[in-house]
Amino acid sequence: MEKNKWHAFLFLLPSVFFFAVFSYWPLLQNLYLSFFSWNMVSPTMKFVGAENYTAVLGSEELIKILINTVAFVAILLVLNFVLPYLFSYVLGHLVTRGKAFYRSTLFMPATLSLAVASILFLWIYNPLAGPLSIVLSWFDMESPRWFKENGLVIFAICTIIGWKIFGYNLIIMLAAMLSVPKEMIEAAKLENASNWQIFKQIIIPMTSSTAIYVFTVTVVFGLQHVLVPVNMLTQGGPDQGSSNLVYIIYQYAFVFFQTGKSAAFAIITMVFYIAFLLFRTKYLEKKVYYEN
Amino acid sequence: MSLKKKIAGVLLATMCTAFFAGCGGDNKSADTASGKKVQIEYWHVASESFGGQTVKELVKDFNEKHPNIEVVEKYNPDMYKGLTQNLQAAIASGKNPDVVQMGWSYLNYAAENLKYQDINEAFAKDAKDPNFLKDNFLPNVLALAQTEDGKQIGVPYSISVPVLYYNPEIFKAAGLDPANPPKTWNEVKAAAKQIKDKTGNMGFFMQEYADNWTQQAIIESNGGSMLKKVDGKTVAGFDTPEAAEAYQLLADMVKDGTGLHATNEEGFQAYLSGKLGMVCTTIGKRANFEKSAKFEVMAAPFPVFEGKELKVPAGGNFLMLFSTDDAKKQAAVEFIKYLESPEALLKWSTGTGYLPPRKGVENDPNGFKKLVETNKNIQVALSLMPNLVPWASFPGANGLQAEQLLIDARDIILSGKESAAQALHETAEKINSLM
Repeated sequence: MEKNKWHAFLFLLPSVFFFAVFSYWPLLQNLYLSFFSWNMVSPTMKFVGAENYTAVLGSEELIKILINTVAFVAILLVLNFVLPYLFSYVLGHLVTRGKAFYRSTLFMPATLSLAVASILFLWIYNPLAGPLSIVLSWFDMESPRWFKENGLVIFAICTIIGWKIFGYNLIIMLAAMLSVPKEMIEAAKLENASNWQIFKQIIIPMTSSTAIYVFTVTVVFGLQHVLVPVNMLTQGGPDQGSSNLVYIIYQYAFVFFQTGKSAAFAIITMVFYIAFLLFRTKYLEKKVYYEN
Repeated sequence: MSLKKKIAGVLLATMCTAFFAGCGGDNKSADTASGKKVQIEYWHVASESFGGQTVKELVKDFNEKHPNIEVVEKYNPDMYKGLTQNLQAAIASGKNPDVVQMGWSYLNYAAENLKYQDINEAFAKDAKDPNFLKDNFLPNVLALAQTEDGKQIGVPYSISVPVLYYNPEIFKAAGLDPANPPKTWNEVKAAAKQIKDKTGNMGFFMQEYADNWTQQAIIESNGGSMLKKVDGKTVAGFDTPEAAEAYQLLADMVKDGTGLHATNEEGFQAYLSGKLGMVCTTIGKRANFEKSAKFEVMAAPFPVFEGKELKVPAGGNFLMLFSTDDAKKQAAVEFIKYLESPEALLKWSTGTGYLPPRKGVENDPNGFKKLVETNKNIQVALSLMPNLVPWASFPGANGLQAEQLLIDARDIILSGKESAAQALHETAEKINSLM
């Protein structure tokens, strides 16, 4: 018994070591930084106490950024969670021909980097010369300025991320869909159950463990993905219209060189993530069916 | 027992990997102690499409001519912002480069926050040519790389000015004369309208980079100013009717559909694919535009306001010196002198479109002369040299944030959400509370 424990600890050690050094140590470091005014290079760090927090929490931009963040997450959930869910059901159980073709076509964008996708979409959305504006002009419509209108910019950026991530999430969901026993569905069909009933009564419960994974990943990684197109295409603009909790951390640290405020924003963001994960564990996890 | 050994081995291997991964890239430390070959690092922002090849050529040429010095060039993505980030990290860890390209708008920030070497001091120590700076640069150009208290923090290297590019084919189709482009802002406005009415194309776009460079040019050319001094403190100076009038002219064009408000790249794409009549941006884009466009790219001087003095901020960069070691410092001075030689400046200018900062280079038969004679767009840019003013940058720890507020104001004004006067007033108040 004693020996087993020792072994277990030894096996854990490498991952604990890296986890501590690369995840928790920076976190503590970040907490430390959030109490100082510092530009990353000056030899003197000025201790300012909670000043960074009061400045950040009392700023006008915080509300705008929170609203933008929620909008990003909501749209990303539709594009990268709800849609892959429905598509994987259709692809797994309703489509009978050309499955491999759909699968590979839809997965392909996932292999491209987000930076490449951003540049691609910059062209597609070009209000004067882009293909989308040409299509719109067939219907006598003028292309909106996708990256310069409040609200629209968030949607436009989400489509870039959706384009890339959709296929990946689809493949994961598809694996779950296909692992639902065929006999169960056949039996339901014999009972004259409609496709919708099958989806609701069998598919949703049977795939819930994968679904909750995709849901979590969409929310947590979604915001991190947002950083790339925002940084490349809009720099948080127009007038902070596409700024969000993750970009603002980057902007304060690496554009304004104000690490204290940046760290304060990072801590606030972390609080939101913790709240989300608690909510997930407490309420969503209970409804999930795990096979073993 | 053997299991434990294996585990220990695996552990050791992972730790070693982590250790070496952390140390990657640190194998370049120069062999200065032996006095054989001095290695210096040159940091630049020239991407492959913007002079990167030229930098490599210049460095190779220099290394061949100077067997005792080896220059290593390092490209920093994301322009001066990216470079400043890397530079701060490098200085913090004690591995500073030697020669660095620094953007004009980072002048104050660099002067206040980076541990640079005094340029005058370093050049005065040069036995061969102690008066290099004084002899070769116009005083007003040298002053561009000086702080307010007159400290020379760098050597001017690349100069760019904003010009008005236009598409002669669209001009002809709209019934405008390509040989006679708009000279004043009212003419620009009229031309943009004519282009929209006659050809259906968009008329005008002013660059929307993450800075306020061209916006400064139009504001100051209308008699406004970006900054002003109040009781020895620098505050926002653009809350004036002149500044608002200039900015409103741009907003009105966007409002009546003759001007484009889009991201910078979108605007350039539209111009290069022949959907946009005029683009106001840097002469630094000349080489790239001329190569990418299917039509003949033509440039006109930055337009003026009737009866007012034209003022264009100098864009581009200057060279800063960061070597702490004496041998490296000497090598770096040698390298800067090479970069500022007429032949090297000619190559640099051909590769990027930047203008040379030195006096007389445009008449030097070994240097610029031929290029100027064959390219009319460069002549246009050179004609703006007497109108150069420093690129305004907000001082202090919040300076870069102030710059961002002004960029946000641009979105507010051009999208028509608020009038220029109102938005500039609100932004000035916000910025003044930051200073």
